Amino acid sequence: MTPPIPKKTALVTGATSGFGFETTRLLAQEGWRVYAGYRNIRKWGPLHELSKTMDIHPIYLEVTKPASVKNALRVIRRKEGVLDALVNNAGFVVAGFLEDLSDKDLKAQFDTNVFGLLRVTRESVPLLKLRGGTVVNVGSISGRVSFPGIGAYAASKFAVRSLSEGLRQELRPFDIRVCEVAPGTYATRVVGSTQFGEGTQKGNSPYASFQKQVEEMVKKEFLKARPASEVAQLILRILKSRRPRPVYMAGPDAKFMAWLKWLLPDRVFEGVFGSFFPWSKRP
Amino acid sequence: MEDRPVALLTGCSTGIGLETALLLAREGWRVFATMRDLKKAETLREAAQGLPIELLSMDVDKPVSVKKAVSTVAHLAGRVDVLINNAGWGAFGALDEFTDKEILAQYETNVFGLMRVTREVLPFMRRQGSGRIIHIGSLAGKMTFAGIGLYCSTKHAVEALTEGLRVETRPFGVQVAVVEPGSINTPFKANRRKAALFLKKRSAHQRVLENILYFGNHPSRFTPKAPRVARTILKALKADHMATRYPVGLDSVWFPVARWFMPDFVYDRLLEAMYRRFGA
Repeated sequence: MTPPIPKKTALVTGATSGFGFETTRLLAQEGWRVYAGYRNIRKWGPLHELSKTMDIHPIYLEVTKPASVKNALRVIRRKEGVLDALVNNAGFVVAGFLEDLSDKDLKAQFDTNVFGLLRVTRESVPLLKLRGGTVVNVGSISGRVSFPGIGAYAASKFAVRSLSEGLRQELRPFDIRVCEVAPGTYATRVVGSTQFGEGTQKGNSPYASFQKQVEEMVKKEFLKARPASEVAQLILRILKSRRPRPVYMAGPDAKFMAWLKWLLPDRVFEGVFGSFFPWSKRP
Repeated sequence: MEDRPVALLTGCSTGIGLETALLLAREGWRVFATMRDLKKAETLREAAQGLPIELLSMDVDKPVSVKKAVSTVAHLAGRVDVLINNAGWGAFGALDEFTDKEILAQYETNVFGLMRVTREVLPFMRRQGSGRIIHIGSLAGKMTFAGIGLYCSTKHAVEALTEGLRVETRPFGVQVAVVEPGSINTPFKANRRKAALFLKKRSAHQRVLENILYFGNHPSRFTPKAPRVARTILKALKADHMATRYPVGLDSVWFPVARWFMPDFVYDRLLEAMYRRFGA
């Protein structure tokens, strides 16, 4: 008789909705033990339901709070002693034209999307080292192309792309694989959780009319959004792979945009890209 | 006298900022050269004999200091035609070993500081209906290297901010570009701030990091110096329409091109070979 295969353990941040929720559910279905990080107890209902029937353990993990990150990982260390996968998914969008964003807006954006990711990774690495693991960072097509109206978000996702590349190099000697999943438009709660910059909220912004047009475009874009479970499937595939690729663009829109950006010289790309934003012409 | 274009520069005590201030002044611009600490202005003062350079103190980390400096420029010159966001420094260490404080300090200058100055200057440029903003990015904004990963991530963010601002401010006649120096012979590398864990020699990556620091810190005689970057900045300012990116130095041009054609797995094998050389 072969001994039972020990269960693999994963930590998913931002697991109350979207990619995080779908990934948590899928991994649990596939026989993983999943620690599902949540920030807002009022939003943890669906997660709590799942945890009754599956090997899912909701855990308070607010990536902007160092103490909560340390505590969550301390719990995992005590209960499991080891971690096989970390999915850095927690993130949100600060929207608004860059001049309209205050110091506070920018810092809030980076605190979750960038510093939070580093915080969780820092605390998880000791557990991931033990038998080799995988880190999946959720980036975005905004990590390749900076769209007007969400410049701060793009900056944070460009940084995530860079951090994934850096961590991949630095953690390779410890048998920790790091990849970035960069989705396009998916049906998540990202629009609902978007925060607007101070200048945008005040309403007297010089960019107000452009802002409106961008919002219209976003609305239209999200009508074509694909189901978030697609990205969860991709993450599962990555976690099962011994040699995952460094970057996975998720969704045809992200693949196409990234390919255009890769293929075209800046000037040509800007011409094509700019034609989607007719207001951004030179006066 | 008063129709001279006005340039505002940050981080002018050494390197690229200093040389650019001198070059623009020689070209007849009215230059406001700012730096965190005016005590470090001696080099610039000596070189600037007779040139139209005005020195101001500005610490881009501090909102009050930025506001004060920009309003001084507005008061003295009444306009800002060019902003060169040059202030920045490099953190050194492994990405999983920086403390929260070290991470924030790196971003405070390179990203938040850059946006702080930009935010203060943009209203003037919009009112004028013209203006140019040049961010000093880096080759590190296009590729990431072990040991300076945190710095690379800030410069990636600068690339995104450049692309974003470019589209957002174009209707107001403001142009934005990023100048991307590769390895340049300036005090930048000597001024790298190392992670505490590395300095205490307790890093899990200690040997690799020490090797990277050793190999990466010796400029050859072919390494371009700061005036080369200054000349590129001038070229960008003189162009009718600024391009998005201006790489400076052979490495800054060819590394991304090589990476462009290279499949990921080849790139990874190359990195592995590099690590072996570094003794990981």
